[in-house]
Amino acid sequence: MLKKAASLILISLFAGMLSGCWDNRDINHRALPVTMGVSMKGDNYNVLLLIPEPVENTTRIRLVKGEGKTVTEAIDTISRDMESFVDMLHMKVVVFDKALAERGLMDSISGFMRARDISPKVIVVITDDEINQFFKRSQKTMAPEGTTLYDCFEKDAGWNPEIALTRVWEVYRSIHSYTRDVAIPIIQAGTKTMIEHNGSAIIKNGRMVGRISSEETLLMNAFSGESSYGKVEVMNHASVLIVSNTFRNSSKVVDRTPYMNSKIILKVSLLETRENTNADLIREELEKVLTLRCDAVIEKMKANEADVLGLGQFFRNKLPRNELQHWRTEYLPRLKMNFEVRTIIQNEGNLKMPS
Amino acid sequence: MVPFLQEMKTRLGDNDDFIVQRVFLLDSPVILMGFKSMLDFVQTKSNLLEYIEQSFPEGKTIDEVIKQLSNSGTIGIEEAISAITAGNLLIYDEKTKQRAIVNPVSRLLTRSIESPTTENILHGGISSFNEDIDTNIGMMRKQFNSSHLETKLYSCGSMQKSRLAVLYIKDQIDMKLVKQVVSKIESNLDKELNHTQDVSKMMGFYSKELIPKFNTTELPQEAVNALRKGRIVLFLDRLPFALVLPSLLWDMFIHDNDKNLPPPITVALRMLRLLGVLVTLIMPGLYVALVSVNPEVLRIELALSIAQSREGVPYPAFIEIVLMLIVLEMTLEASVRLPASIGPTVTMVGGIILGQAVVTAQLVSNLLIIILAVTTIANSTVVGVQNSLAIRFFKYVIVVLASIFGVFGIVSAVVFVCAYLAGVNTFGISYLYIPRTEKVGGNHE
Repeated sequence: MLKKAASLILISLFAGMLSGCWDNRDINHRALPVTMGVSMKGDNYNVLLLIPEPVENTTRIRLVKGEGKTVTEAIDTISRDMESFVDMLHMKVVVFDKALAERGLMDSISGFMRARDISPKVIVVITDDEINQFFKRSQKTMAPEGTTLYDCFEKDAGWNPEIALTRVWEVYRSIHSYTRDVAIPIIQAGTKTMIEHNGSAIIKNGRMVGRISSEETLLMNAFSGESSYGKVEVMNHASVLIVSNTFRNSSKVVDRTPYMNSKIILKVSLLETRENTNADLIREELEKVLTLRCDAVIEKMKANEADVLGLGQFFRNKLPRNELQHWRTEYLPRLKMNFEVRTIIQNEGNLKMPS
Repeated sequence: MVPFLQEMKTRLGDNDDFIVQRVFLLDSPVILMGFKSMLDFVQTKSNLLEYIEQSFPEGKTIDEVIKQLSNSGTIGIEEAISAITAGNLLIYDEKTKQRAIVNPVSRLLTRSIESPTTENILHGGISSFNEDIDTNIGMMRKQFNSSHLETKLYSCGSMQKSRLAVLYIKDQIDMKLVKQVVSKIESNLDKELNHTQDVSKMMGFYSKELIPKFNTTELPQEAVNALRKGRIVLFLDRLPFALVLPSLLWDMFIHDNDKNLPPPITVALRMLRLLGVLVTLIMPGLYVALVSVNPEVLRIELALSIAQSREGVPYPAFIEIVLMLIVLEMTLEASVRLPASIGPTVTMVGGIILGQAVVTAQLVSNLLIIILAVTTIANSTVVGVQNSLAIRFFKYVIVVLASIFGVFGIVSAVVFVCAYLAGVNTFGISYLYIPRTEKVGGNHE
C-alpha cells in the first residue's frame, strides 16, 4: 500500500521533471509578430517584424529590425534584444523584397518549412517598394491591431478573387515540382488604403520570372477552383456578375505535343445593359473577352516557361517521369490549348432579360 | 419470575427515560415497560384499555389477553430489549410471567413528507423521501402500484440495529443481481450501517473509487423509474434518500421528469447537460493550455486580447487557475455549510472579491473570471449533486496535464477520465452501460 502510494508520487514527480514544462511561457510574455519582412542587404538578410503589443486599452504596433547571415539568425538577434520571447507561430504574412524574389526564395522558404517555427500556412507576398519604406508607410495607415495586412488576404475578410493566395507550403511545393508553379501577389504601400495590389509575380522554381495582371490572376484563381463569385465583368454592352464557374479539362499527348481542351461553364447574372443588346450578343462578347484573356495568360506562361495554372498536373499520367522534368522547357511551349467558354445567363431577380 | 424484571431493570434502568409502570388491566396488575421519549404513555394506556374492552369478550382473564397479544410465543430477554429500544411497549404479567410486545402510540419523531432539498424539480411530483424507512417504502408502493414490487427487509448491525430494505420489480430485474445483493447483505448482517459508505462496504465494493456505486435520489419518481429499468433500490433507515444500484453514467444526464416535457425539449436538455459536463472538464484546462503552452491555436485577435488581459498578472496560468478554483470550491462548500440567513453574505463577498477586486488588483486576468464562472455554472447542470462531485475532481487532473502538455495533455487527460469511467463496474455491470431495453444486466457473471 505504502509502496504503491510512493510509486504514484514518484511517477507524478517524473511528469513534472521530465516534461520540460518550465519552458512554457505565458502568452503575455511572448511577442507575437504577425508580419515579417525579408530583404537582402549585401550578403546579409534584413528582417523586419511587425509586433502588435497590448498597451492600456489598445494595441500599439512595434516595428523591430534585425540583421543576420540567415533569417533565423536575424530573428534570434531580435529575440535577444527584446524583453519577451519572439514566438513566430502566429506569423500570418511574410513580405519579400522584389529584389530578393528575383534573386530566389528557395533558401528562406525551405528554411521556414524545415525549422517549423513559422507555420507553413503563412501567406507569401512580394512588395515593389523598398522593404523599410513599405513597412514605415503602411504602418501609418494600419489599424492598431496590426492584422490589417493579413486581413487583406483572408478569405472571410478582405480577400478578393483577383488576388493570388499563395502560402509557404505551396511555394515550397512549386520549388520541387516539375509541373506546377505559383503566383505571389505583388503589393505596395498605398496612400489611402494600406496597400495597393499590382498583380502577381510568376514564381518559377522559387524565383520571380515575370508578372501577370489582376485580371489574369482572377483567371488563374478560377482555374484552380478558388471562387470568383461576385466578380463584376464590364463589357461594351453590359456588365455581368459571375455567379459560378466550372472547368472541365481533358488532355492528351500526341507525338510529344500536349493538347488540352478546357471547357469553362460560366453562370452569370446581368447587372446593367445598354440599349440594343440581347442575350446572344452579351454571351458572344463575354466568351470572346474571356478566351482572349485566357490565351494571353497561356502565351505569358509559354514565354516564361512557368506553369502558374498548373496545367502540367493534367499530364502527369500521360508522360513518364523522366519526360515530366522537361515539362516546363520542352512541352509547355508546344502546348496546344483550346479554351471553350460557355455562358449561361441566369437572371433571376436582378434585371429583366432583354429579348 | 423476578429475574426477568430484575434483568430488565439492570439492563435498561440506567436510562432516565425508561419507564416501568404497574397498572391494572382487567383487574389484575401488569407491568408496562418502554421509553417515554419514544412513546406517548398516557395515550397508549388508554388506547390499550379501549382495545381490550372492544376486542375481547367479557370474562376473559388477563392471562388470555396477553397470550392473544403476543402471538410469537415466549419472548426472550434480548428480544424484549430490542423491542423496547425500537420504541415498542412491553406488557409483563408478574403472576403468569407472560409478556407481550404491543405497538404503542409513538411520539412523532420524523418530519412529514416535504419537497426535496437537494434535487429541485421543475415539472413533476415534488414529494421526497424522508428519514423513516416505512414512509419511504410506502411512497414507493404508492408510486408503483403493482404486486410485482417486492420488498425485502433486513435488520443489520450487532450493537446498533438499523433496517435495510431491498426493493425490486420481479419481472424486470435480473434475478442473478438480486441474489448477489441479497447474499452480500445476508453474509454481512452483523455490520453496522450508518452511511452509504457502510452499505458500500457491506456490498464488498472497492472503497477508493471516485464514482459512487449507488446513485442516490430523493424522489420516489426517480427511484421507481430505476426499478422499472431493472435496477435495485435500497433504503437505509434514517437516510432520506434511495440508493439505486447499480449507478450508471447516464444518471448524470437523464432525469425522469424530463419526460414531462415534449420529446425534442427532453433531448435538448440532456444534450445541454452533456455539454455542461464537457465544459466543466475542459474549460479550465483549455485556458491553461492556450495561455501558457499552445497560444498558436488561438486566432491572433483573441491571442492579443488575452495577452492584454493578462498584462501585469504575476503568476503563471497554472498557479492562477488553481488558486482561483480552490477559492471557488471553498465558496461552494461554505454556501452549503452556512445557515440560509448568512448564505447570501458569502455569495456577495465571494462575488465582489472574485469578480472585481482580484481583477482590479491584477492578481488574475479578466478572462479567468469568465472561465471560472462558466465552469461553475456548467458544473451545476448535472443531475444530482453527488454526481457533480466526481466531475469537479476530474477537472483538476485535466488542468495539471494541460499545464504540462498543453492541448495534447487535455486530450490525454480526457482519455484517462474515459478509461477510468469505463473501468468502473458494479457487480459486473459497467458504469457506461446504456440500458437499451427495460432490463439491466444479463452480461454480468
